[in-house]
Amino acid sequence: MRFFRQVWVVTVKDLRAELRTKEAINSSLAFALVILLMFSFAFDPLADTTREMSGGLLWIVFAFAGTLVLNRSFARELPNDCLDGLIAAPVSGAAIFLGKAVANFLLVLAVQLISLPVFGVFYSVPWTDQFPELLLVLVLGTWGLTVVGTVSSALTVNIRLRELMLPMLTYPIMFPALLGAMELTATLVTGNPIGPDKSGFLKMMIGFDVIYTAVSLVLVETILVG
Amino acid sequence: MDAVAVDGVWKFYGDYPALRDIRLEAAAGTCLALIGRNGAGKTTLLRIVAGFSRPGRGQVRIFGGQPRDTETRRKLGFIGHGISVYDELSALENLTLYGKLYGLPDPRRAAREWLERTGLARVADGLVREFSRGMRQRLAVARAFLHEPQVLLLDEPFTALDDKAIAVLQRLLREALASGKTVVMSTHQLREALELATHVALLTRGQVAFHGPSTPEMVADPGYVYARYGEG
Amino acid sequence: MREKRLYLLGVLAVALMAYNLTEIAARPLQALFYIPLCGTAALAAVTSLAASIAFLRTRNFRFDSLAVAATEAGLAFLAAGIVNACFLIHAAAGKWWTWDSRLTAALVCWLLYATYLMLRHAVQEPTKRAASTAVWSVFAFLDVPLAVVTIQWWKPAGHLRFDWTQLRFCNLAAMVLLGTLFTVVRMRQEETRREMDSLRRMTHAL
Repeated sequence: MRFFRQVWVVTVKDLRAELRTKEAINSSLAFALVILLMFSFAFDPLADTTREMSGGLLWIVFAFAGTLVLNRSFARELPNDCLDGLIAAPVSGAAIFLGKAVANFLLVLAVQLISLPVFGVFYSVPWTDQFPELLLVLVLGTWGLTVVGTVSSALTVNIRLRELMLPMLTYPIMFPALLGAMELTATLVTGNPIGPDKSGFLKMMIGFDVIYTAVSLVLVETILVG
Repeated sequence: MDAVAVDGVWKFYGDYPALRDIRLEAAAGTCLALIGRNGAGKTTLLRIVAGFSRPGRGQVRIFGGQPRDTETRRKLGFIGHGISVYDELSALENLTLYGKLYGLPDPRRAAREWLERTGLARVADGLVREFSRGMRQRLAVARAFLHEPQVLLLDEPFTALDDKAIAVLQRLLREALASGKTVVMSTHQLREALELATHVALLTRGQVAFHGPSTPEMVADPGYVYARYGEG
Repeated sequence: MREKRLYLLGVLAVALMAYNLTEIAARPLQALFYIPLCGTAALAAVTSLAASIAFLRTRNFRFDSLAVAATEAGLAFLAAGIVNACFLIHAAAGKWWTWDSRLTAALVCWLLYATYLMLRHAVQEPTKRAASTAVWSVFAFLDVPLAVVTIQWWKPAGHLRFDWTQLRFCNLAAMVLLGTLFTVVRMRQEETRREMDSLRRMTHAL
């Protein structure tokens, strides 16, 4: 129980610090909207074929914009050597990691939920038809992105080219989950339910999330303390 | 049982030994001043004692326990080169955060109390990024003392402190030592350190060149230890 | 491993591959190697995982050298396998690429382990570098089955026809021997580099 209380303390701390400056969330949101617009130029938003694949495009937007939030995750501990303070405290590395992951998850999900209606308007897709299922896919995909991204943030915190390394580390690992999310979102956002041919992706995304959350919780102490 | 016992510690960066067979003890209630040139390994050693990195060989015991044990971490207070407080939060929020992380029963009250003791009560709700340098240092001291640690590990604590902050820190350290707490501090400021130190250890190129009680000669002429045991 | 044994591995590999000369008239050369190459890469990935876990448990730097050597060898062999497959596709269908599920999965796995190398070059401090890349090796390995399965669902039709009779076990053995050779050589190089690094630090300290 103490573990979850500590996780919550870290989550609240990250959220409070972020919401006071709003640096990451503002740039992430702006970036998402800009890419959405650029995709509208690249692919004709009125064509039916674009509408069918728009779910895939949406996840590219989410992946790129999410990176901006994830980059800040452990980087915000660098000024003043705050990371030392966290590591020295009687809090397990897993609690620090999970607290940050939850905070990142909430921030990235917020950006996505704001971008979603904009996307729906630009591409004229009936995204509200299957909203509960769509929300489930968003949650599963975002949690996967958050877990892998937070681990990458911890790994790259002291590296010079951090902003470049984090996406390069995160995206290849994310390929299965992103692929699944794209397939499912493409179906759901056009108003079709998830059929038996696509339900495998859903199970795979759950599996991905469980596996990587477990492995991260076990190994994050090694990353932080070495 | 010694408060801090360093037993045959080696630290390797790749194959290069930054610390070689370090054997040191600090009994409870004593103040050990760790002195040495830049690059001698003082910071490396302190960080190993604090549990930030693992020794390649040997071990550290704090009251018999490992530095990374949860119980041991509760007994340790560390001030490093950075202040370890968040710029975007207020002084009170920072201390309350650490109070919660250390599992204090009433984090807010403890936070307020330590803001008083370091003279920061007036600016409790101010954001740390607006603080002056001296105020930031005092907040770092408050953070380290907040959970009443049994062992204080300080890495060059007097460097870049203003007069007020030095006075606060010396007062708090004297009170801590008087109540039986243990202090290990690395320092260049020999004078301030030797006023408080009961024992001195000189580190030269990763090895202990001298370790013993502080003598009147040392307090009178801080360079004495370097001249006698160091490389000059 | 001593020099003589390394040379022996190389000679044995070449001897095994020479067996192919008897087949050149009958089958296209491109078809004979891509599975052995990818198989060796898979073996390299397993080796890297084992070495990484061993490092995390024992903190012995020899395991770290083995991990990076195996990963680099695996990347080289996988790249060769993918290029080989491209030549095969070109010979069969005139295109240079096809979204065959296995080929795409191979490319994804290659990128995955390429990130391991990137991380390796980015972290300077040796202990942290070894620990970070060991953890990343575990992450990468876990992703391989997920990637293979997911890509299989994405594009189930396999365009690359894959004839087991063309798998010459001697080719597979030859590639594995070569892979071992490369790994050992690279591992030696890594150990030497570590020693030089420490000597350099020592001279800085004087």
